[in-house]
Amino acid sequence: MDKLVFDIKNLDLYYGKFQALKNINLTIEKNKVTALIGPSGCGKSTFLRVLNRMNDLIEECKIIGDVHFHQENIYKERFDVIDLRTRVGMVFQKPNPFPMSIYDNVAYGPRCQGIKDKAKLDEIVDNALKSAALYDEVSDRMKESAMDLSGGQQQRLCIARAIAMEPEVILMDEPTSALDPIATLKIEELINDLKEQYTIVIVTHSMQQAARISDQTAFFLMGELIESDQTDKIFTQPKHKETEDYITGRFG
Amino acid sequence: MSMSSKRKAIDIAYQAITYIASSISLLALSMIVYFVWTNGSGLLNIDLLTKDYHAQYFNGELQEDYTYSTTARPSDLDDSIYYSERYGIGLADGKDREGNPIILVEYLAPDSPMLSLADKNSEEIISVEEDMLVSKVSFFDKATALRSFGAENMINELNEVDEFREIVYTSLGGGIRGSIITTLYLIGMTMVLALPIGVFTAIYLNEFAKKNRLTSTLRTLIDTLTGVPSIIYGLMGLAVFVPFTISTTPATSGNLISGSLTLAVILLPVIIKSTEESLKVVPDGLRQASLALGANETQTTFKVVLPSSIPGILTASLLGIGRVIGESAALIFAIGTAVKDDISIFGKSTSLAVHIWSMMTDEPANIELSSTIAIIILMIVLFLNVSVKLLSKKFMKPLQ
Repeated sequence: MDKLVFDIKNLDLYYGKFQALKNINLTIEKNKVTALIGPSGCGKSTFLRVLNRMNDLIEECKIIGDVHFHQENIYKERFDVIDLRTRVGMVFQKPNPFPMSIYDNVAYGPRCQGIKDKAKLDEIVDNALKSAALYDEVSDRMKESAMDLSGGQQQRLCIARAIAMEPEVILMDEPTSALDPIATLKIEELINDLKEQYTIVIVTHSMQQAARISDQTAFFLMGELIESDQTDKIFTQPKHKETEDYITGRFG
Repeated sequence: MSMSSKRKAIDIAYQAITYIASSISLLALSMIVYFVWTNGSGLLNIDLLTKDYHAQYFNGELQEDYTYSTTARPSDLDDSIYYSERYGIGLADGKDREGNPIILVEYLAPDSPMLSLADKNSEEIISVEEDMLVSKVSFFDKATALRSFGAENMINELNEVDEFREIVYTSLGGGIRGSIITTLYLIGMTMVLALPIGVFTAIYLNEFAKKNRLTSTLRTLIDTLTGVPSIIYGLMGLAVFVPFTISTTPATSGNLISGSLTLAVILLPVIIKSTEESLKVVPDGLRQASLALGANETQTTFKVVLPSSIPGILTASLLGIGRVIGESAALIFAIGTAVKDDISIFGKSTSLAVHIWSMMTDEPANIELSSTIAIIILMIVLFLNVSVKLLSKKFMKPLQ
């Protein structure tokens, strides 16, 4: 039972009158990479944002159903969203470092939680940058602006920023779609290293990427979860025709 | 072929319109600068900026043990200088900063009895120097020699008598030091009042306010206030802030505090609008990134959004300061138009723009001095513009 990080049951999500997610049932396992695939507008990003309640920011967004994070429903009343977000980190599609120094970017989350001790922050920042495979590239210019980094470095900085919070889960929303192939490769290698410590849920447009890095794959279409299984099964013996059509490139 | 040539003609016509429009704009703008510069540059010097507006007077008389001068007229003295050998003083005609006739002390002989005089008011000794002004000389048994009769008349009258009752020296007035200080005070006090309130209101409206009828009413109100003529704010200053400051401070009339309060009200919508604009362009990605890291809304706003919008807030301040410098209508009511040299925040005084207004409502209007003040205002605005540009360059990093 402890292997399950998220357990989603009968989830419906509405934007106003539009139903973006329909009766989703899915489990997400510890220390695995789960890939969410599907054509644009299928609801996979929306689903990802359910997991750290980022959809709260959208007015008129209504959620019905249960989303259990370690057996606790995160949509129950008086649930501590801030605490959830410190335990479920997120990396966005477009690298979005804060316009401040590299050090301050990584130290931002811990500082918001009230950590002020310089030595402790130094340690957190160093470790996070090392885990994100960025430390060697930036260790001599921690005080420089994060905006001067390359796109790939910025995205790894965003991962380091998420890691600095020591979360259990890292959600990634198409983290490589704005990057060149070499930067993409580095991020993929990084994801592979990170899954030993973290549970990763990644939305991706690239089926090759899903096949390369994920253990589990969930295929979304028109707001419905068509199929979810081990990645090699999905890609070799899909149970549904829609899945097969999508992964073989017949639509999407 | 005819289609393409027709299209070409239309293209040329459109381009010609843009060229003509920009030429007209350029011409209009450069005409202002040209007009102001040709009229006002003649008076522009450091004395104008540092000296008092109101002249100071010294009433001097000969000391008891005076002796006449025996120095003959020096040969190198200019022809325009009238010289009295008996009193060892050379006077010349001139014009002051406002173009009125004055008489200048151009030369003092080393043995002149005029070098040091007894002050009739304080019993102290006045030492007279060249470049001081003589306002008048009065005698015991004949009419006073006024400066309006000229230097030649004054010397002739002096030469005819053995002694005189008093000679009145003045300093050259017309300086705008007081108005510059008042303007700086107004800028400082207004910004201290309006900037924090405006910035925090903008933050509330853009970051925290729910989209409901109250906030949309507030927004409409702010938009409307931006377009209200400043003289109406001036009326409000006179009706509300002047009585308020009189009852709560040592002030007895319109004063710098009531002026700053009025200007602050004028600036609020300007600062709110432009701060809000700069908050709007902060990418949502930054807010989401911050929230996703477990920061709450307040932390997100003050640690990420606000620092990112500093260049915009700087621009808002610049617009505000420009408005303070340029405002005249509201200040005429809220402070008054009295030009002062000793500036107190509880007292009357006037800003540079209102100083122009006073000069132009004089009879006759003093276009020259007004233009000089206009040059100074333009230079201050230019300086502010450049410094804010440099500052925002320093603060600004590309957001995405």
